[in-house]
Amino acid sequence: MIDAQGLHKQFGTVQAVIDLELHVPQGSVYALLGPNGAGKSTTINMLTTLLRPDRGTIVIAGHDAVRNPDAVRRVIGVTFQDLVLDRDLSGREALDFYGRLYGLDAATRTQRTKELLTLVELNDAADRLTGTYSGGMRRRLELARCLMMQPQILFLDEPTQGLDPQHRAMIWDYLRMLQQQHGMTMLITTHAMDEAEILAQQVGIIDHGRMVASGTPAELIGQFGSEMVRITANYPADYQPSWLQAEWVRNWAIQNGELRVGVDHGSRRIATILDGLRADGLQVSDMNMTRPSLGDVFLQTTGRALRDEVKS
Amino acid sequence: MINATYAIWLRHMRKFTRNREELGGLLIQPILWVALFGVGMGRMLPDQSNYLSFMLPGILALTALGGAAGGGMMFLDERLRGILREYMVAPIPRLSILLGHMCATVSKAFFQIIIVVIVGVLAGAQLGGGVVGWLATLIALICFTLGFAGIALGVAARSKSIMGYHGMIFLFNLPLLFASNALYPLDSAPVWMQWLAKANPATWFIDVARSSTQSTDMSANLLNLGLLMGFAVAGTWLALRRFNAVTAN
Ligand SMILES: Nc1ncnc2c1ncn2[C@@H]1O[C@H](COP(=O)(O)OP(=O)(O)O)[C@@H](O)[C@H]1O
Ligand SMILES: [Mg+2]
Repeated sequence: MIDAQGLHKQFGTVQAVIDLELHVPQGSVYALLGPNGAGKSTTINMLTTLLRPDRGTIVIAGHDAVRNPDAVRRVIGVTFQDLVLDRDLSGREALDFYGRLYGLDAATRTQRTKELLTLVELNDAADRLTGTYSGGMRRRLELARCLMMQPQILFLDEPTQGLDPQHRAMIWDYLRMLQQQHGMTMLITTHAMDEAEILAQQVGIIDHGRMVASGTPAELIGQFGSEMVRITANYPADYQPSWLQAEWVRNWAIQNGELRVGVDHGSRRIATILDGLRADGLQVSDMNMTRPSLGDVFLQTTGRALRDEVKS
Repeated sequence: MINATYAIWLRHMRKFTRNREELGGLLIQPILWVALFGVGMGRMLPDQSNYLSFMLPGILALTALGGAAGGGMMFLDERLRGILREYMVAPIPRLSILLGHMCATVSKAFFQIIIVVIVGVLAGAQLGGGVVGWLATLIALICFTLGFAGIALGVAARSKSIMGYHGMIFLFNLPLLFASNALYPLDSAPVWMQWLAKANPATWFIDVARSSTQSTDMSANLLNLGLLMGFAVAGTWLALRRFNAVTAN
């Protein structure tokens, strides 16, 4: 449903998106995961015809997004990272005007508005000005708005940004329901790996405009084995633990004074690793063991932690 | 196309009638102009009611310019706040987005113009000419507003900030009025200024307004009316061009 190839976008000297490729089959959810400034919004703007790519092709539901943007606009629903709700309108009016913009007749507008307000549980607040809404309510109204024209494909740019855990879970529930009951194809962007892991069948990790890894969450995480052993010690700068070439080691790296080893079975291997380090004369100061996550994939592919980047 | 234009116009009108501050401000502004320019300055002259009659078209032009600047502001505000993107992902022509904003601008200006005329007449301005003259004045005023609304939207389509926009708009708002026949008859002005004034859409409008509210002979106004219509089209075209360039970036 969504096919992009060789996408390029440059702003002045900033290469916002570089040679990006992305395919989302019908009915599946794709998460574009990356820190702030990675190029997620730029990508979504190009896919939704708001921004013309410098190079590359985009085909959405069989329509070329550059040559035939109106055909694409007819089948997509979009929510933006920064909320665009008009504070001087009520929630019901905002939906009504959106339907009007597309030329929906009054009866259909009224009916869809009612259904969607019920769906996102905003009936009680429907006639209040959206300026009085909380962040979570606004995100929900935005979701309702982008569903107003019954799109085939949703593009959601950071749909849970700035929400508390309860509201995030609420949005996730709606999105899962849309996929399961309506077979909706979705592309979401996020800088939260838990969100990508929970919602998406396919994840693309993007950093500095480049797609650095992509696949199903299980595939991406699978390269680290089933568990990840982390050990902090006084590693010399060029430390090379040659004994980590064993077949049970899926993957290893030392970053910020921490050795991380993806292994097939943590509790069975941890002693071996500690022995190896001790034999090399190192002082271990801390250790733990976790299931690997998309955050580890990100760290591995970019050399930086996803969470630290988010704050900057 | 019509749907989308109407939807955007309606949205602005709904917001406008709800916004007491804006409503009040737009109401008081024309009253102030009439009081300051017409009555205040008129006191210095022997024949008061005549100066107000002379000034009224200028006040209308000023009101229209203010309305156009406000329309650009409204557009810039929607653009900077991202509301514009909501329209941009909809399968509607770019022109309809512009026209929606321009129609809303003209409607608000129209509301002010009615007040200017009422207040002006109450303060002693004399309106002759009859229905045809008034109609010609109205058409001229709408074209004049559309043209400047187009320029204002064109500026707003690219401005990075509200301050930048105001800077640009100030450049042509008041100077335009001073370089026209709004405040004084052109006969006494230096030749270069007369030429400047002749190329000024404000002069075209004021000519139409003055002559058609004083006599019933329309023929002298046809050229001015034609020029104003051309100006309206040119303004819209400029706005559309600048707007398209932004969306394609
Ligand atoms: N309109 C623009 N003009 C200039 N630079 C831009 C513009 N939009 C985005 N950028 C730059 O492009 C890069 C990617 O931005 P963006 O796509 O917004 O990232 P993300 O959504 O992943 O946080 C950033 O370095 C940003 O500063
Ligand atoms: Mg973004």
